[in-house]
Amino acid sequence: MILFALYLLATLDGALCGNRSAAGRSGLINKRRYYFKWMAEGALWAQAASVISGLALLIVLHFAPDRPGLLLDLENAAQRMLRVYIPYTILILSSFIVRAAPSVDIRSATSVLIFGPMTAARPLISLIGVLYGIIPATRWEVRALGLLVLLLMLAVERIIDRRAEGARLLTLTHRELRAVGATENSPAIYRRVDGRPDDRVP
Amino acid sequence: MRATDPEVSDLITQVDPVTLARLPVVKQKLIDEFISLGNRQAARVVEAIPSRDGILDPASVDALYVRTHTEMQRMAEEFQHGQRVKELIAPLLRVLRERRQPPYRIVDIGCGSGYVIRWLAARARFGPDVELIGVDFNPALIAETQRLAHLENLNCSFLLADAFRLDHPAHIFLTTGVIHHFRGDALRAFFARHEQPEAQAFFHYDFQPGLLAPLGSWFWHRIRMRTALAQHDGVLSTVRAHTAQTLCEAARAGAPGFAIGMYGTRIWGTPIPRIFHTLAGLRPQLVADFRRALGLRAGRLGELR
Repeated sequence: MILFALYLLATLDGALCGNRSAAGRSGLINKRRYYFKWMAEGALWAQAASVISGLALLIVLHFAPDRPGLLLDLENAAQRMLRVYIPYTILILSSFIVRAAPSVDIRSATSVLIFGPMTAARPLISLIGVLYGIIPATRWEVRALGLLVLLLMLAVERIIDRRAEGARLLTLTHRELRAVGATENSPAIYRRVDGRPDDRVP
Repeated sequence: MRATDPEVSDLITQVDPVTLARLPVVKQKLIDEFISLGNRQAARVVEAIPSRDGILDPASVDALYVRTHTEMQRMAEEFQHGQRVKELIAPLLRVLRERRQPPYRIVDIGCGSGYVIRWLAARARFGPDVELIGVDFNPALIAETQRLAHLENLNCSFLLADAFRLDHPAHIFLTTGVIHHFRGDALRAFFARHEQPEAQAFFHYDFQPGLLAPLGSWFWHRIRMRTALAQHDGVLSTVRAHTAQTLCEAARAGAPGFAIGMYGTRIWGTPIPRIFHTLAGLRPQLVADFRRALGLRAGRLGELR
């Protein structure tokens, strides 16, 4: 149950990473579909991270001499992580509720006071959660798994960010692409020529 | 950073004011200029822009402009800027409809990526008697905003033009984050150009200066903006922002045919300042009706004189 809760939080985190990476990269006004696509992509990358973590966990359990003891240590570590991540999640989700208020000042305030600072704090919160979880753990396997999870959490954001940037380049003309350093072999130009009609190339 | 420092975006493109033709910008000269001003961060921003034969590469500058303005749009979205503009335009249109024949032409000066005009076209539902026009001196931004408007099939237009010399003059002028680029006599001269027979009102939105504004702006731009240009110019904009008093004095001196005051300087009547404040100018005969049309929001409108 505790592991499942961590999995759900990881999926939510991935989706929000997708949203964050997509923000500021599209000039469209109606962006619901655009954000949904990137949130889905973020959630998908979180699944990949969860699969890797799950496999690592199974391997560690397979070779563990004292499986019940390891499981107990793991459960305690995961529980401690949740003590950090759940309040953070509640804060973020409750801000979405506040954002539904029909006031531009209240909606802006959620950005200024919560979404902005909390976005900046995400890597730190990730680190604190994992460290709080693994430092009291008695086994090295639990610490190693915790560090792997941290690495994956940070990697998911990095990967989605790079992919969103690649997608942004697709909206540029060939001339602009070359100006930002893309070559004929760059994925952005290649994908455009290969699969998408470019109404902007003269 | 000082209020007198120029923004990088003001200098990496030079345009002939008459022909609007683009002029070459010598990279090293610009870098030296920023270093002589003690602004090494700005010098680094220019240093990173590719050049050819010592001249800033126009395509690179254009790509940077488009990217930066797309990032800035995110800020406008988070601050609900479209809604804030609609909050003033909608009641004004109600007043104008009672007094004048259509069309009602709204012109956004220095529209950048055209977010405000496109947002109004997509969401405001002003009706077919309202023409939404964005103008800018930057051809790359105009091309980008035309492309975006076309993609979403929006009923608005964008022109590479001088907003005060349009074939069909504006009834309402708008700007967002533009007026701090003008200082002293140039600010007064900017307002003087609003004195056109057809012009009925103007609303200029800009950062509200304050002790914490540069710090808040720095933090916000660090976490939300990805380009060094946006991070630099965004913070400098809050340092350069004019006080309400400066704006009102310049506008009253430059455009005496309008009743002028500030809108939305404080949040809900508390001493907490809004991040943006709005300089409002209306023809005197519209003021009373406009105040009535604002309804509950009339309290946000200061004295117009």
